[in-house]
Amino acid sequence: MLEGLRSPNIHTPVNLSEFSSIIQHYPTSTYWAGGTYIMSRSDYYPSNTTNDEIIFLGSIEELHRFQRNDRIAEFGSMVSLYDLIYTGRSILPKILIENIQDIGGNIVTARMTLGGSLCTREFRSSLCGTLSLFDASCEVKYMKKKRMHSKWFPMISIYDKSGKLNLPDKALISRIRVNLMERNYQRFIRKGDFFLDQENSVSIAITGNPEQDNFNDARIAITYPNKGFISNHDLDNIFSSARFPLDQDESKSIEDAILSAVSAIFPSLSKLQKTRTRGIIKEIISDLNINALTTASFDEAKTNI
Amino acid sequence: MKIDCTIDGKALSLSINSNKPLSLILEEDIQNSSLNSHCNGQMCGFCTVLMNGKAVLSCLIPAFEIRGKSIITFEGYAKTKNAKDIEKAYDLTHLKPCPSCYNSRTLIIESLLSNNLTAKEDIIREMEMLKCHCLEFNDMVRIVQAASEIRRKRHARRA
Repeated sequence: MLEGLRSPNIHTPVNLSEFSSIIQHYPTSTYWAGGTYIMSRSDYYPSNTTNDEIIFLGSIEELHRFQRNDRIAEFGSMVSLYDLIYTGRSILPKILIENIQDIGGNIVTARMTLGGSLCTREFRSSLCGTLSLFDASCEVKYMKKKRMHSKWFPMISIYDKSGKLNLPDKALISRIRVNLMERNYQRFIRKGDFFLDQENSVSIAITGNPEQDNFNDARIAITYPNKGFISNHDLDNIFSSARFPLDQDESKSIEDAILSAVSAIFPSLSKLQKTRTRGIIKEIISDLNINALTTASFDEAKTNI
Repeated sequence: MKIDCTIDGKALSLSINSNKPLSLILEEDIQNSSLNSHCNGQMCGFCTVLMNGKAVLSCLIPAFEIRGKSIITFEGYAKTKNAKDIEKAYDLTHLKPCPSCYNSRTLIIESLLSNNLTAKEDIIREMEMLKCHCLEFNDMVRIVQAASEIRRKRHARRA
């Protein structure tokens, strides 16, 4: 044990009522989910600034539950990403599984929790963006007048406009609900390492229903680690209003429109991030062009028959 | 904080900071020399150990989580029959990891074999985490599949 370094007290509540009594006694405690974010900070250990009280959420049984019906799947916030893909592989949208598998192997995803990946200050995964495409919502438990209240929020509303977490004090995300809607086109692309090269990384998740020359119900989320994520109707409309296939000029104007929307929210994007964003959009447009051309030729062939 | 755990088969009672990373506990308190790095959780993969039989990155495990658990480092694992299977697979395929990633790679292979994950995609996804490029992914697939075959034969003989 290092001299002069205080060993934090670890509280391990086994249910939410025990958790609420602990949080009343120790309001400034650190919540500990999987620990991958806290332990990867350079000042984690040894440190004099470490919080003296840690609440380990892993023993709270309510936070490990998983239930589903035809329309939604509901996960406790302490469900690990590994469990999420193995329990939900057959029902969850394909893009969500791809996103989790992209984060890392089983060794890493078994430690990362769903709640933890949504609540870290830095975006070590692009999960929030991808979840927002499926209108995910979160149950937030918070203390008010010494009592614990809970309320469901659309996931997009727990982040501010620039993608920063905006939860009330002493709040805890207890459950995450995902709508099980399948869209015909789902694509997740990441460039750069979200753990090692945060300044230059970017990921884009896009879903929609391509139909002839239209791209209906387009939803797009762009995530920049250590900055935040952007997912709004303006971005969606850029894709929804386009008529595919696009020529080079039209494609460039879409890239420019998206980049200017992104730069307005995140003015400090690095040059490489901008280039990578443009590259990914180009890749998606080319994909949608191919899709539109194959559908068009298929429809033409049908009418000829 | 007093923490009771089992490391390489030895039951220990450690007096350590509750938030100290397992990698530092192994290096400083146990003087275990089989860990090659302490990357502060940047996921280099070189500090892999087995916790209750599952591969974990020891720099991401705080002391309070090892309470009552069994930790196996490469030092302890190298003496087991399971380790011999993997060594045989290295010899059989004439492929051997470099000294800096040998310990971690062997433990990751063990975790893959014990969880029956021998499909190419599973092996590649697991090995991608290790930030060492001494072996190609196809070589890793060959090693894991050879080790799996050797272990299957050993178990069949025993049965």
